[in-house]
Amino acid sequence: MDAATLTYDTLRFGEVEDFPETSDPVWILGKEFDALTEKDDILSDVTSRLWFTYRKNFPPIGGTGPTSDTGWGCMLRCGQMILAEALVCRHLGREWRWVKGQAQREEYTSILNSFLDKKDSYYSLHQIAQMGVGEGKSIGQWYGPNTVAQVLKKLAVFDSWSRLAVHVAMDNTVVIEEIKRLCMPWLDYGGAACSDTHGGMSQLNGCLEGACAMAEEETALWKPLVLLIPLRLGLSDINEAYIETLKQCFQLPQSLGVIGGKPNSAHYFIGYVGEELIYLDPHTTQPAVEPSEELHLPDDSYHCQHPPCRMHICEIDPSIAVGFFCRTEDEFDDWCMRIRKLSHSRGGLPMFELANSQPSHFACSADVLNLTPDYGTGVQSDVRCRQAHCTSNKAPIKGTFPDFDEDHIHDFFDSDRLERFFDSEDEEFEILSL
Amino acid sequence: MPPFEKPQNSLPFKQRKSLATRKQEVAGIRTKFPTKIPVIIERYQREKYLPPLDKTKFLVPQELSMTQFVTIIRNRMSLMQSQAFYLLIDNSGLASMSLTMAEVYKDHKDDDGFLYMTYASQEMFGHCVEMQKLYVIAGCVASAFGRPVD
Repeated sequence: MDAATLTYDTLRFGEVEDFPETSDPVWILGKEFDALTEKDDILSDVTSRLWFTYRKNFPPIGGTGPTSDTGWGCMLRCGQMILAEALVCRHLGREWRWVKGQAQREEYTSILNSFLDKKDSYYSLHQIAQMGVGEGKSIGQWYGPNTVAQVLKKLAVFDSWSRLAVHVAMDNTVVIEEIKRLCMPWLDYGGAACSDTHGGMSQLNGCLEGACAMAEEETALWKPLVLLIPLRLGLSDINEAYIETLKQCFQLPQSLGVIGGKPNSAHYFIGYVGEELIYLDPHTTQPAVEPSEELHLPDDSYHCQHPPCRMHICEIDPSIAVGFFCRTEDEFDDWCMRIRKLSHSRGGLPMFELANSQPSHFACSADVLNLTPDYGTGVQSDVRCRQAHCTSNKAPIKGTFPDFDEDHIHDFFDSDRLERFFDSEDEEFEILSL
Repeated sequence: MPPFEKPQNSLPFKQRKSLATRKQEVAGIRTKFPTKIPVIIERYQREKYLPPLDKTKFLVPQELSMTQFVTIIRNRMSLMQSQAFYLLIDNSGLASMSLTMAEVYKDHKDDDGFLYMTYASQEMFGHCVEMQKLYVIAGCVASAFGRPVD
């Protein structure tokens, strides 16, 4: 091993225990293994994942910025790992295995190239750190799972080779219609498409069903989906009711694993055995790999060649993002079916919800928020408005934000304009109305 | 910005008032507004990114869905759609967005009659070893000169 990589972090891995001898099934990214008879397969599967760690001596970010991400880049590295897993599934397939020192497929080299620590790689640390500025993170600041998910969604747009549709499901809700529209953008514009996306849900649903039955060459137009679901499964600790559901995520064939960590340390969780999570740890500082013109990229340091780390599932920080990859529409439909089945089965609490279509208020949130006195209940005398302009001056909502498309209107809603109502006797109570 | 005018009391609502007082408040307001749900919304004590709300007590129509309710709160804070925001019911589980307030209330109302919710974003991850070293060095240098360091 290169002497320069023998840092404190690297030496720590000497302590990683060997994989346990247990009859419990081992689940890694949707595949089940037997720890007693398939140990080599388990290790080969883990080693095949792309492992991104802290690096040092890379070209400065933004020309004059940091040349190492030690101490701050762990969640960015985890984001790289979960996306790299999606690219491996996309271009090489889940069954693909890395063999040390062997000539690699062209697609593999292209995937690895898009993560090298230089400014012009699609998903380099440089790109992620700089794109994070738009999410309110200056270079060198720590990220959360949602931060890196949002950044990856923006970066994927430029990767015309992979044509990924990255969707980040907010508010612990996955909206099927939203994803179908994202992965089949032609549905909205093509001949069979529905013109009205805000009304006529039943009509739209009809079209979507039709899309499922389309000829193969047409379904090939589905953009491979990377679905990232940022969640918070508790305040300071994970709510134990979620533990079984979290484990089930690793059993789904579409699983891309989970990015999250222990407090302060981000990890890329790829599976579990018994009550332990299996993860790849970015907390090792390796020297940056010099991009070379040679055909063979020195890639040993991008694969974790020791047994993977493990930790008790209860130690996981409640802030995570769960990832899934659906190459085809069928795979996505299958995923939906499996998630529905899981939510109906007893055991864990569902971590997120699956909805067919966007709740109506997203299109007309202004109306929901246009608080008016509750005349229906006959208690209007108890309701008074403390703002002088409340009886008139209904602020026009539509058309006041010309720079934003309709989806974003509610994000920038000006709460100053809202009338607010309080109970006459106990003014601590604010009254919300439909 | 009006929603952030007043600083939030540091003690949680439940600890500021006795059970009897809280029960009384609920009884009083439920008589006047039988179709509205009394809700307490508080910021997670260790929350660093989301702003505080100027109100903690809300009366919410029972037919309002959780999605609508979350949208109201998100708008109050002027959050972008890409910003993480989670409402945890009773300090434990995420609210299912398709449920109505009445349904959530039925399953999770407190003994005092309020429905308690805590909001939080996500934790950020980083390793402070290097930073701590720097602070230690800075601290030594500063104390050598007899000046405190933050």
